[in-house]
Amino acid sequence: MNQAVISCLHANLPAVEAVLKDIELQGITNITCLGDLVGYGPQPNEVIELIRDKEIPTCQGCWDEDVVDGLDACDCSYPSQLAEKRGHFAHQWTTDKLTTENKDYLANLPYSIRKDKCLFVHGSPNSQHEYLLPDMDAFAALERVENARAEILFCGHTHQPYIRELADGSIAVKIKNAVPKDTQEKEIQLPMRRIVNAGSVGEPRHGGTKATYVVYNDVTNEVKIREVEYDIELTCKAIIDAGLPPIFAWRLKNGFEFAEQAEDASHVCER
Amino acid sequence: MIERWALVSGLKGDLDTYELIQKDLKKTPGNITLFVLGDMIGPEKNCNRLLHRLINPKSNDLQPWCIYGWWEEQILLESGYRGDQRAEALRINKGEEVVKSLTNAVDKSFLDWIAALQFGFVELDCGLIHGSSKDVGENLTLDTPPLTLLDRLTRLQVNRLFTARSTQQFHLELTEGILNSEVHDLTGNHKKEQKVPQKAVIGVGAGKNYTLYDVGTDNTQFVQAGYKTEKRIKGFGRL
Repeated sequence: MNQAVISCLHANLPAVEAVLKDIELQGITNITCLGDLVGYGPQPNEVIELIRDKEIPTCQGCWDEDVVDGLDACDCSYPSQLAEKRGHFAHQWTTDKLTTENKDYLANLPYSIRKDKCLFVHGSPNSQHEYLLPDMDAFAALERVENARAEILFCGHTHQPYIRELADGSIAVKIKNAVPKDTQEKEIQLPMRRIVNAGSVGEPRHGGTKATYVVYNDVTNEVKIREVEYDIELTCKAIIDAGLPPIFAWRLKNGFEFAEQAEDASHVCER
Repeated sequence: MIERWALVSGLKGDLDTYELIQKDLKKTPGNITLFVLGDMIGPEKNCNRLLHRLINPKSNDLQPWCIYGWWEEQILLESGYRGDQRAEALRINKGEEVVKSLTNAVDKSFLDWIAALQFGFVELDCGLIHGSSKDVGENLTLDTPPLTLLDRLTRLQVNRLFTARSTQQFHLELTEGILNSEVHDLTGNHKKEQKVPQKAVIGVGAGKNYTLYDVGTDNTQFVQAGYKTEKRIKGFGRL
């Protein structure tokens, strides 16, 4: 059966509506959301209410967590002080706009959702703030999936959709104990695992302007990345009208990577 | 001159053992650097004399380079050095009495010194920590999956990781690793084969059991303080 996985909606209602329509046109009713319903975009309450109305199971994203608990990500999540300042402004704007009911909804979202061999998280099984980028150290990436006891790990947070297969791995170990006779050597075969990043519905950072999500077939194990056009002008106008930083609109319209992304992909915020 | 590291942990206030180790090391040839990988304190005995000695070494002592361990983390938590958090894990697992014993075992005047200790050291291509690069309380042992060990090495970007939390002494080499990665994204397919060079995780022991590491030959020797050292690892010369 096909199921859709969406992530990083970022309060962009036209994009969310377009993606949900695309999912509906394919006859898919099983949808999982990987969080970041809010942040950057101009319609946080509307997007939350749409997801709630459709009863889409959702994990808590880093923005969802920060809006509820206060800024949690440390400065190194931002590539510059200017980007940090804009991020903090959007955080405060979103906090002010959200209804109490919607804040409660975000506060009660789970960190992860498990369905059989699949684990759904926002960033990584370690943290909503950890980036699993496509070129991350392969062994470290495999460790994230394996230690989470999953076969397929669905994540978002990077805003770059990809499917990564980690296979044919092995590690040879040699144990040197106190007595030389105890020296042992063995080779451990590593399991095949996959990481599927759903990209971003509301703030794509893949070099284009289209919203992205993924469709997973749990019978064939096939995963497809879907790109969906939406009315970008509508969102851009709403961003400007709301008084949010104009660069949020500019980067949506131009599909240009100008977003807040950690330089150190393996970094986990300890604040 | 041969350069050696002495790696000590889990003294838990035991000044006698520390003095025994210092005595051993004075007889050990080579240029020795002494690292104390945490758990200098514990709830069993008063730790003030040991802490005073670590901070104020005697003139003929080897200078100890200390980091904080799991017990130091507990007292810092309980004493409000970690924000609103308290040593709840300790309280739940060991009970209120142990929490009280720990705070009674260390004079408050030492807390600032403990709070200023580092999580670990990176020397050459080696990481020296108490637990793991993920958590001060993480036990790394011979039974830890190699993939996890490799991840903990990768996080610190080191080739050797010295750990103390398990209290065990072991030397596990990751001699070879290979993994194929294929990424499919909007630009197409990208295949890559990743290999790892030889790496190792070394458990240094606790209390009287400590480890000597020969920096030049990459060999370890597991030692018990006060006993004549023996040749333990093939290829490592008798002291």
